Amino acid sequence: MELKIMNLTKQFADLTAVDHISLTMTEGVYGLLGVNGAGKTTLMRMLCTLLTPTEGKITFNGKDIFLMDGDYRKILGYLPQEFGFYPEFTVNDYLLYIASLKGIRPAVAKKRVRELTVKTGLSKVSGRKMKKLSGGMKRRAGIAQAMLNNPKILILDEPTAGLDPNERIRFRNLISELSEDRLVLLSTHIVSDVEYIANDILLMKDGGILHRGTAADLIQSMPETVWRCFVEKSKVSSFMKKYKVSNIRSEPYGAQLRIISGEKPLPDAVEEEASLEDVFLYYFGEKAGENDAAI
Amino acid sequence: MYFSIILVKRLVKMMLLFEIKKVLSKPVNKIALLILAITLAVVSYFAVISVSYTDENGSSFSGPAAAVRLREEKNKWAGRVTEDVLKKVLQENSRINQSPEYLSTDVTQNNIAYSEKQGFSDIREMINFAFSDFQEYDYYRADKVSESEVGKLYENRIESLKTWLSSNGISERWSQAEKDYLIRQFDALDTPLYYEYSDGWRSLLEYAPTLIMFTVLIAGFLVSGIFPGEFTLKADSIYFSCRFGRDRAVRAKIGAGFVIVSAVYWIMILGYSLVVLLSLGAGGGGCAIQAGRGWKSFYNITCFQEYLLTIFGGYVGILFVLGLAMLISAKTRSAVFAVTIPFIILFVPSILTSMNILTGVLGFFPDQLLQIPSAVSSYNLLEIGVFVTGAVPVLFVLYLILYGALLPVTYRLYRKSELR
Repeated sequence: MELKIMNLTKQFADLTAVDHISLTMTEGVYGLLGVNGAGKTTLMRMLCTLLTPTEGKITFNGKDIFLMDGDYRKILGYLPQEFGFYPEFTVNDYLLYIASLKGIRPAVAKKRVRELTVKTGLSKVSGRKMKKLSGGMKRRAGIAQAMLNNPKILILDEPTAGLDPNERIRFRNLISELSEDRLVLLSTHIVSDVEYIANDILLMKDGGILHRGTAADLIQSMPETVWRCFVEKSKVSSFMKKYKVSNIRSEPYGAQLRIISGEKPLPDAVEEEASLEDVFLYYFGEKAGENDAAI
Repeated sequence: MYFSIILVKRLVKMMLLFEIKKVLSKPVNKIALLILAITLAVVSYFAVISVSYTDENGSSFSGPAAAVRLREEKNKWAGRVTEDVLKKVLQENSRINQSPEYLSTDVTQNNIAYSEKQGFSDIREMINFAFSDFQEYDYYRADKVSESEVGKLYENRIESLKTWLSSNGISERWSQAEKDYLIRQFDALDTPLYYEYSDGWRSLLEYAPTLIMFTVLIAGFLVSGIFPGEFTLKADSIYFSCRFGRDRAVRAKIGAGFVIVSAVYWIMILGYSLVVLLSLGAGGGGCAIQAGRGWKSFYNITCFQEYLLTIFGGYVGILFVLGLAMLISAKTRSAVFAVTIPFIILFVPSILTSMNILTGVLGFFPDQLLQIPSAVSSYNLLEIGVFVTGAVPVLFVLYLILYGALLPVTYRLYRKSELR
């Protein structure tokens, strides 16, 4: 199984949302990490045939996915960032309806819906209307619909956005569980999500892929060093202006800063081991802090 | 292969049922259905009470009981309206006109006199029409017609048309072929006309356009959300990323629109017909429409045939109007805009009637299909070469073809949708 993106570009008027991306993905979990507006959703929408590229091509096992049409969508599961549903439908009805759209035989669909509601912890609320579900439950219904056809390609756009920490952990585990023997592309701006699940991380910025590799590869590729140092409270803001500060911990007489810098910021600064969050901050700078991105 | 076709059919049926469920489960659509039920009740009520009867004491009442009494009276005159019958009507009319009740200044006494005229009032009305100028109506004209001239009733119908067609200001409106066609149609009417009580059909046809128009407007709310719903609920990405999201599921949406419109329309119109005909009686369906208010119509049809034209015309009209609304909604992704389409189609022609230049064209607008009883009374003609015909059959063919053409356009538009 090979999903190949060749020189893919998407232009919206003056904005280039995806800029000449080339990429090959096979089985495994891919984490697409980038700040809001990096082009993750546009890329995913093209992978789901929801948007046509301005330039370039996407192939699955050598065939153009737009020409494959229904045959490609047959092996696709997609959970969009904005998960819309039919509020008056019960969870069961919703899943059965999506199953029919996916071309699953009614008898198989019923069995599959039962399995997935159990797996996603929705069996007790399967008769409840979608509009009555909590945010986390709705997301679980979203992943259940994406999994109905047992897809070879599973695309999840910001699946944990807006979930509370407990729900996020549950959801992450669920995705890990479901990721066997398929290609999972998971987009997020939450570093810890990809750190735990993805084998291959793609850093996306301004419509392009900035870096690709495992978490360790990306950490290694960072050309600067992470430092820990103690500064007086009055100097914190000047340090923040001068350096990329990935963490501040307040202490009685000052603050302990975690700084990413090519040079030692203070003589008594201590070198620290870099994390993926540091990498994220290094590449995305100020924007990395938006929407709890570095959490 | 065979099993695959069966499976796909089952899946499309499932999609269709879920599409219908989506529509019917919306609270706003539940309100629309309730309004439709109220409309059905109100229009049926007005149709039923439109038949009234004045008894021998001069008291009037309406509804089913009145219909029973009126039927008894009118059916005394049932049969072919020959010269002898016409003379008898004039004699009876004259006798009543000379009665103390008729000459009295007391309204109740006048009503008593009228009660005696009810049985032949329709035939009397035919005399009024036949002996007045073509575009005029004089309720008392029958009182002045002599027994020697009343036998010319059917000839007068044709002669007054000819006179009217050659009059100033009218003559230029039609070509000679069209005039000849109208005269031929008048001439082809099977006379003497057969007459019997047909007030049930008349009331039914009088209020049917009101019911049909309300149905179109309210059903517009039901179907206008079928296509934009995916976008407004942000369910479009999942919908279009599914295997059948760009083909069979779109067909299921079109199918759901068709099923909902058809079901709503036929429940309304057949429910209405049943209530009115059960209340007022279904007799007289075989009477020519000219034996009543359709005296000047050039369509030689019976009341029952007019009813069939009305209900099927309404059906073609509602399919076209709401099909267009669905197409607009698929294109604009807006249910709000789509809801306005039926209003525009129904009300714009009435605004345009003041524009003389459009007089000939307005008779071919889709609103005409929703009001066939009015269309069969209008002189809208189509002339193509040597072929001349009335607008009504043209409307059926034209809007069925247009509806057929709307479906693939809607399908193509929607299946090509991209996310915004």
